[in-house]
Amino acid sequence: MTDEELMLAICEGDQSAYQAVVKEHFKRISHYAYRLLGNQKDTEDITQETFLKLWINAATWKPEKSKLTTWLHRITHNLCVDYLRKHSRVQTQDNFEENLVDSLEQASVRDGEFTQRDLDRDSEKIRILDSALNQLPENQRSAIMLCTVQNFSNKEAAVIMEVSVKALESIIARAKRSLKSIIRTMANSGDTDELLENQKV
Amino acid sequence: MTLEDFKQTIESLGTDPAHWPIDTREHCERLLKSNSEARLLLNEQSELDRLLQKMEAPAFLGLETRILNQDLPPRPQSLIDSIVDWLIPDQLGAKLWRPAIAACLPLVFGVLVGNFFSFGVTEQELALEYWDDELALLSFNDFSSDLDEAEL
Repeated sequence: MTDEELMLAICEGDQSAYQAVVKEHFKRISHYAYRLLGNQKDTEDITQETFLKLWINAATWKPEKSKLTTWLHRITHNLCVDYLRKHSRVQTQDNFEENLVDSLEQASVRDGEFTQRDLDRDSEKIRILDSALNQLPENQRSAIMLCTVQNFSNKEAAVIMEVSVKALESIIARAKRSLKSIIRTMANSGDTDELLENQKV
Repeated sequence: MTLEDFKQTIESLGTDPAHWPIDTREHCERLLKSNSEARLLLNEQSELDRLLQKMEAPAFLGLETRILNQDLPPRPQSLIDSIVDWLIPDQLGAKLWRPAIAACLPLVFGVLVGNFFSFGVTEQELALEYWDDELALLSFNDFSSDLDEAEL
């Protein structure tokens, strides 16, 4: 069944069509929400609410305007942003930069000794990247997730985030620079640790 | 194209040349051939994208099942569906009086409209319709005495 047929069936109250849509989009939606919210409990609530909104507002989806996955991501994005605002957890570029140094120090302490050898391993790199991604402001996290991880085009990502394509490109460039800078700083702190270890030996 | 322009391109549009604008693609490819720093930037960016794509979210055990089995609220009906449901209800009693009320509505509407609007028909025009009757009535009167008095 196509997305249009499934959504039409949902509009007529067909629960099996609803279940088919949930099965198809669950992983991407929950992953996106998790990256924006940063914790499992809130992600579960928002994912559940997203699919509830799909059931209630199925008739408002316009297939000629956006793909179903874009529409669902937009619902998730709006729910996450509302949630973060309500709980005053939106990080702006300004307070992001202020908090960055503290966060990096905390990450270094929490993650123990980073060594260049560790950084070469993918899992370690991903762990660091995960930590770095969580330090980014919400809009940068969102842009990175949509364009790089969820493989949306810049135009689709701009629709989901309700910004212009130019603005989105600027956000994503800033996000990648920030990520690289965080990773570089973490890697450098690893070098320092290794140097200290060598000196002890 | 400068190294900074190239950096901006791969950061905002990604590392896949297919996503670069056609007019700048050639310049980027030329820079990549000639500049080792550009190649390094591209590799660094590709590595970052690759790692980002490998990032996984927790499994969310049971969440999908919970969403699939959650009690879904009744779907909101359209206005037409609501009207049809009201007119043809399930209860036997309502089945009789609701269509009757619906049938009376045009009559009530007509009375109300007729009471408030004249639709261009004025009382003066109505009086003109009786002009012939007035003449007929006048013809039955005896006006001879009035004429005599006037001659005198």
